[in-house]
Amino acid sequence: MAILEVKNISKSFASLKAVDDVSFSIEEGDVLGLLGPNGAGKTTTIRMIMNIIVPDSGSVTLLKNSEENSTNLIGYLPEERGIYRKMKLVDVLLFLAKLKEMKMHDAKEQIDYWLERLDLIKWKKKKIEELSKGMQQKLQFIATILHKPKLLILDEPFLGLDPINTNLIKEIILELKAGGTTIIFSTHQMESAEKLCNKIILINKGKVILSGKIGEVKESFGKRNIHLEYEGKEDFLNKNKMIKKFDNFGNYVEIQLEENVSPQDFLKEIISKIQIKKFEIKEPSLNDIFIESVHSQNQEDDHE
Amino acid sequence: MNKKIWAVVSREYFTRAKTKGYIIGTLMFPIIIVFLFGGIYIFGKAFQPSTQNFAVIDQTGRIYVQMVEMLPDTLKNGSLKFSFSEIKTIDENLEPTIEELKQKVLNKKLTGFLVIPENILESKEVKYSARNVSNFDDLEKIEWAISKSVSNIRLENLGYSPEVIRREMYAGYINLTSFQLTEKGEVSKSGVSNFLLTYLLTYLLMLFIMIYGQTITASVIEEKSQRITETIISSIKPVELMMGKLVGVCLLGITQLVVIGSFVYLLSAFGAPFLLKMGIETPKLLNIIGNLQFTPVVFMFFILYFFMGYLLYATLFAAVGSMVNTTDEGQQFLTPIIFLNIIGFFIMITVAQNPDTPAAFWASLFPFFTPSVMFARIAVSHPSLPSGAVLSIFTMGISIYLIIKLVAKIYRVGILMYGKKPSLKEALKWIRYK
Repeated sequence: MAILEVKNISKSFASLKAVDDVSFSIEEGDVLGLLGPNGAGKTTTIRMIMNIIVPDSGSVTLLKNSEENSTNLIGYLPEERGIYRKMKLVDVLLFLAKLKEMKMHDAKEQIDYWLERLDLIKWKKKKIEELSKGMQQKLQFIATILHKPKLLILDEPFLGLDPINTNLIKEIILELKAGGTTIIFSTHQMESAEKLCNKIILINKGKVILSGKIGEVKESFGKRNIHLEYEGKEDFLNKNKMIKKFDNFGNYVEIQLEENVSPQDFLKEIISKIQIKKFEIKEPSLNDIFIESVHSQNQEDDHE
Repeated sequence: MNKKIWAVVSREYFTRAKTKGYIIGTLMFPIIIVFLFGGIYIFGKAFQPSTQNFAVIDQTGRIYVQMVEMLPDTLKNGSLKFSFSEIKTIDENLEPTIEELKQKVLNKKLTGFLVIPENILESKEVKYSARNVSNFDDLEKIEWAISKSVSNIRLENLGYSPEVIRREMYAGYINLTSFQLTEKGEVSKSGVSNFLLTYLLTYLLMLFIMIYGQTITASVIEEKSQRITETIISSIKPVELMMGKLVGVCLLGITQLVVIGSFVYLLSAFGAPFLLKMGIETPKLLNIIGNLQFTPVVFMFFILYFFMGYLLYATLFAAVGSMVNTTDEGQQFLTPIIFLNIIGFFIMITVAQNPDTPAAFWASLFPFFTPSVMFARIAVSHPSLPSGAVLSIFTMGISIYLIIKLVAKIYRVGILMYGKKPSLKEALKWIRYK
């Protein structure tokens, strides 16, 4: 059953239509990636889910059947995230835990566990203003998951984190996913989305341009690329009717074939011309899908 | 009230109550009082006034007897305040005698000496020499006694007998005693100290409302400018957050007022009697405080009107905080609110003297003036209650309710509004948002 159902929500700011008729729903245990370029409407969508902004039209149904105060079941990491600079780390966490109506004892236990896990335990009694940006980010993340939410909404969770901490957070997200937590997160990092999500929604200019399970999205996108490493002259690439387009990276080349050409035929064609070191049929990466989809929508808009 | 609001209340209260500024602010008054008492005690002991010895050269031979008779003042320990000794000299030349007296003054054997010339009736000049000539109160008394004696002698010269003069003079002395009229009858009391109390307490009340009102503005601006708001309101409704802030900061103010109020109470109840018991003459200031009618009832109204006045003003301060991004931007909106408060204070000054006019009645029912004007009326009329006192609690309550309802709508939109500060007109439009 759907934990969250978003139906035809729209929101305009002055003349700008920030979110335009967006609908989607997620089931318990889903990890949904909300993808899109800067200014696509991701944050506005999340804010409407959180009831921070009221949609101009449409509706959001969140944790409909839960008896508990639904805000206590949600962990929300906003994009605009700051914290009381003059307070001690542990006091901030205790305060936020109390806002989620956690029991004091549980809260203290969880705080120690997560501070240890994210290597902040030494800073427990320090004021926030003494922490680095990255540490503050980790602290924010702890505050979001402290009360074991059923639904986790993370707006750009990896912003400002180094690769080591990014991996640490990813690891924890995967753990939570395994534990049955439903997660929505927005990101630019397609690689992270590809690893973590089972569903994605791609938004551009306020509209959903792609959505569904990752496998289905990739299948429907259809295009398969050929990753080719070879020795020999690169003449065969030029003016080849089988090739729709290619990107030559020096050591290897990424090739997209024309619609009606099968990779087998292409292989037959080139096998006599060059010495093949590696020939791989690749599914399109989320990154490819992202760039292609956004690009083609923008072009369509330009034509209008 | 739910747990979430309490979480906000305790955060607002404890993070601020733990700061040095607050602790110092709270304890400063009691500490000053303790030092004042300690000081009075120590200095009082050290500078216990002793009998002042004066030498008098009375060339008329008639003034000395009279003036001594007119200065029978005694000290707390029963000895004379002024002790005079007459220096008689047959010598026409006074210089050696005066030189001798000067030495005695310098050697502190004498407080000072007076030279009353033979022609005093015409010249009216008396010369006083001493090491210390700034004890105006004492000098005024001596001056008065000599003047009186001179007048008496002049009347005698006109043919009145000394008995008649004395009788008539004393018959003319009057005594001013002030009485306060209340429904329960006349209460004798020092008028000055009651007004002083009223002004002092009302001033304190208004000052605290403004200080803690501005604390609210700063608190809201902090959450906004540090981008904390969104994290918080994913757990708590904006109106609950606002209420938590209002109550938390209010408790800070009440704590401080209770501490200060208790000390004023102790001071007025036990200060002067304590010093008296120690045999120390009470300074005038303390006498005034000792006469204050700072009863538990006045204290209760004091806290009540702080609470309500604070809620009324601080809610507006919260609205301002939610509308702007920096304290500077807020100033423009804060000024009229502060002005409203100041107007109330000026009305209070007039009303304290005439607390029962219709104008005073209506002014004290205007919610923004109630804390100052109505409190002043209560303090001045104490122990009876002025008309409209109970009604004002209801009118304040309703006003606070309405203001909070209205501001909650502005607050909810404002705290998430980053960027350009809105005009008042735009902010009022937020009220109609869904």
